[in-house]
Amino acid sequence: MAYLDLTNISKAFNTVVAVKDFNLSIEKGQLVSFLGPSGCGKTTTLRMIAGFELPDSGTIMLNGEDISLVPPNKRGIGMVFQAYALFPNMTIRENVMFGLRMAKKPKPYIEKKVDEVLDLVRLSNTAKRYPHQLSGGQQQRIALARALAIEPRVLLLDEPLSALDAEVRVALRGEIRRIQTELGITTVYVTHDQEEALSISDRVVVMNSGLIEQIGTAQEIYRSPNTRFVATFIGTANEFHGIVTGENTVLCDDLTLTSDRIRSFINGTRVVALVRPENVQVFDSKPAGDQLNLFEGVIETLTFHGAITRLGISASGKHITADVNLTGRAMLSHHQKVWLCFQPEYCQVMSE
Amino acid sequence: MDNIAKTAKSRKRWSAWLGLIPFLVFCLAFEIVPILLLLRDSLLLKDGGMTLSHYGDALAPLYLKSFINSIKLSGLTAIIGTVLGVFIGYAIYRWPNKRVQDFLVTLSDVTTNFAGAPLAFAFIIILGSNGVVTQFLLQYFHWKIYPDFSVYSFSGLTLAYVYFQLPLMVLLIIPAFAGLRKEWRESAFNLGADTLRYWLNIGIPVLSPSLIAGFTLLFANAFGAYATAYTLTGSRLSLVTLQIGFTIAGEVLHDPGIGQAMAILSLLIMGSSIVIYQIATNRARRWTRN
Amino acid sequence: MKQKPSVSQVLLILFFILYMVIPIIATYVFSVATRWDRTILPEGYSLEGYTTAAQNPYFFKTLRNSLVLSLSTVLVSLIIVVPTVYWVHVRLQSAKSLLDLLMILPFGIPGVVLALALVQVYNFQPLSRSALLLIAAEVVFTMPFMYRSVSNSLAAVDISTLTEAAQSLGADIKSVLLEVIVPSIFPGMLSGSLLVFATVFAEFTLARLIVGAGFKTFPMLLVEYTRIDGTIAAALSVISFTVAWIASMLILWVGGKGVRSTQDIVKAK
Repeated sequence: MAYLDLTNISKAFNTVVAVKDFNLSIEKGQLVSFLGPSGCGKTTTLRMIAGFELPDSGTIMLNGEDISLVPPNKRGIGMVFQAYALFPNMTIRENVMFGLRMAKKPKPYIEKKVDEVLDLVRLSNTAKRYPHQLSGGQQQRIALARALAIEPRVLLLDEPLSALDAEVRVALRGEIRRIQTELGITTVYVTHDQEEALSISDRVVVMNSGLIEQIGTAQEIYRSPNTRFVATFIGTANEFHGIVTGENTVLCDDLTLTSDRIRSFINGTRVVALVRPENVQVFDSKPAGDQLNLFEGVIETLTFHGAITRLGISASGKHITADVNLTGRAMLSHHQKVWLCFQPEYCQVMSE
Repeated sequence: MDNIAKTAKSRKRWSAWLGLIPFLVFCLAFEIVPILLLLRDSLLLKDGGMTLSHYGDALAPLYLKSFINSIKLSGLTAIIGTVLGVFIGYAIYRWPNKRVQDFLVTLSDVTTNFAGAPLAFAFIIILGSNGVVTQFLLQYFHWKIYPDFSVYSFSGLTLAYVYFQLPLMVLLIIPAFAGLRKEWRESAFNLGADTLRYWLNIGIPVLSPSLIAGFTLLFANAFGAYATAYTLTGSRLSLVTLQIGFTIAGEVLHDPGIGQAMAILSLLIMGSSIVIYQIATNRARRWTRN
Repeated sequence: MKQKPSVSQVLLILFFILYMVIPIIATYVFSVATRWDRTILPEGYSLEGYTTAAQNPYFFKTLRNSLVLSLSTVLVSLIIVVPTVYWVHVRLQSAKSLLDLLMILPFGIPGVVLALALVQVYNFQPLSRSALLLIAAEVVFTMPFMYRSVSNSLAAVDISTLTEAAQSLGADIKSVLLEVIVPSIFPGMLSGSLLVFATVFAEFTLARLIVGAGFKTFPMLLVEYTRIDGTIAAALSVISFTVAWIASMLILWVGGKGVRSTQDIVKAK
């Protein structure tokens, strides 16, 4: 039995299904992200863990205890909201000690704990100020400190960084991960930003329209997406629609693709083959030897992205995106004829 | 487990409405039910039968005059208030000094509430037969306004009403001016229009919902007013609100049904004004919030 | 790029200021004038208007009555409106349009009509022609103002998220109310209360028609004096204006600029 268990959780609002058949086990000390587009049900699920929504069916178990019907103020769960939610009428110090006061902890303990968490988020010097005097990023760190002060069993974060600038976001997510690992606190993190989820999570739960698409580590999700949604939501992928023609071949119009990740599709099944741009190799001239997945094409677009250059190549009527590193090779130009190639292991095939 | 969660949730939803009960009871008891009963009574004869006769009596020449007076007074002061209010509001809006602007807005805010008996009396002081302004006009401009004018007459009441109508319109129209984007004016000029054409084609049309809203609000405001008129004219001038007041105070010996009918008719007039006001305000909000 | 105001602007504003201010100043001056019916400025000054007024037994009685009436209305209004606004905002959003509608209603009911309806329905003891009925009427009449103030205050603070944050930190209902909610909406409650107080203090129509002589209020005394003694009436007007002034200033000070929306301004005049 894991530390936090969600079993068969479903919830609908009037006639709209928000979450359906959600099953997840989280081990103690893990950081799990719920990742998906808006409306996919990730926030609703989080709020059910917190107790602000009641599931229509299913159970939530925390450390062996069924908390499905326990009111939110008795679950021992710390929450960080998207909108910071710092109490405007209290100083930073008063905000952070709020939960400890509710738990009626003794004064010396409270003082020590507040100092501790303010130190943890590196904002000890703001204790006497008011929330409106702090920047967005600072307010969010205080919100985190406030949630951690009560030593919650689970920490929940609802898109905590989406209201902040890009620069602050990257720095702060690292901070959050650092603190989470240091304290070993079980955490659920909701976000629609895949970069965020992939960079800090132990495991990622990809959601779409109320259902779980895939659960796995960041690498698993990225390299072996189970569904087309996951493959296209996380990173970019070239899509080739075609039919299975053999044990490891797919015919896409007049292109034959070889893949060693076809799984068990019977011939004739309509499938889609996915190849990520960074796995497409580009050659100025036809490479020697018998290469699989070798196609001729013409460069249509070149977009400089700093470390890599993204090429849009037209090959046999298809538009293929390839990411190349231009260091130490001849320059490529528009309308240049090139040869594309990718290894079968990078060609993922799944049903359409 | 499912059932427990379900009943807990539906109990929560249903009980939420219980929290609204004290308020609803209060509204029903002191607002909605009495008015409905008033409506019912206005349609009843003394011995119990249903009738529209009270409404007929209420619109008989004797009382029709009060309706006409009220509508005339409300309409006139609403027009004056709207027109003057727009110009003054614009003058304030375009005033270069922010401190002065704030002062004028505050002044409007405060004076639009100075209505009722003190205001009526203030006008007696300044425009009575021996009033300050009367004296002033006599001595400095050799303009004898009496006896053609009397502060206790329709015209006096009009001046008093305009006193609180004007700032109301000012407060209403200034945000509407703010809603006229600078870019519209600039692109209009860019496309060859001059100031007049800008106002005729863009400015006034965009403002018109606010103007209509202002006018109807002022109209309703004046129609329902009682204290100012009572203090200034007593029973000299016949107005709807005054007539209804007489019914309550038992100062008139007519069938109570007439008073009730007049009350319901007033409600209809006020009600439709407020409805028009709401529609116009929503339209104004929609256009300028883009 | 500050230009100077145009001539027409100056004239309009001057006209406006004079129109607004002259009646008020005239009242203030009249209240301390001995005789002022033949000249531009008063012939003499004296505080007799005020001293005579204060000697009238009804002076303090009506002041007290108006004060009691205003404070009671504020209290009842707070008790009825504040929890309701909070409740709908946080737990019952679907009722918001109903609440808005009920709060617009009093604007469409002229004071005389409300008075007529209430007097005819509640013609039994102990409510008949009583101060209690008057308080109820004044509460109905001023509900929209309290509602507007509290509701704006509530909307400005995202009260649901704050409530959830407090709950996630272990707060029970009482703590949430006292520590989070009330402090957040206190400015709204305060400016609403001031607005209601000032409105009821100056209110004449309902007071006269529902109770009349049985519970004489300050405005009623004022109206009486307008027919008897001008100087005293002016003195009472000054007191009335001053109370309204102070209330307006306090409201602005509490709520910041432009607290009142134009809809709040429709009242019985």
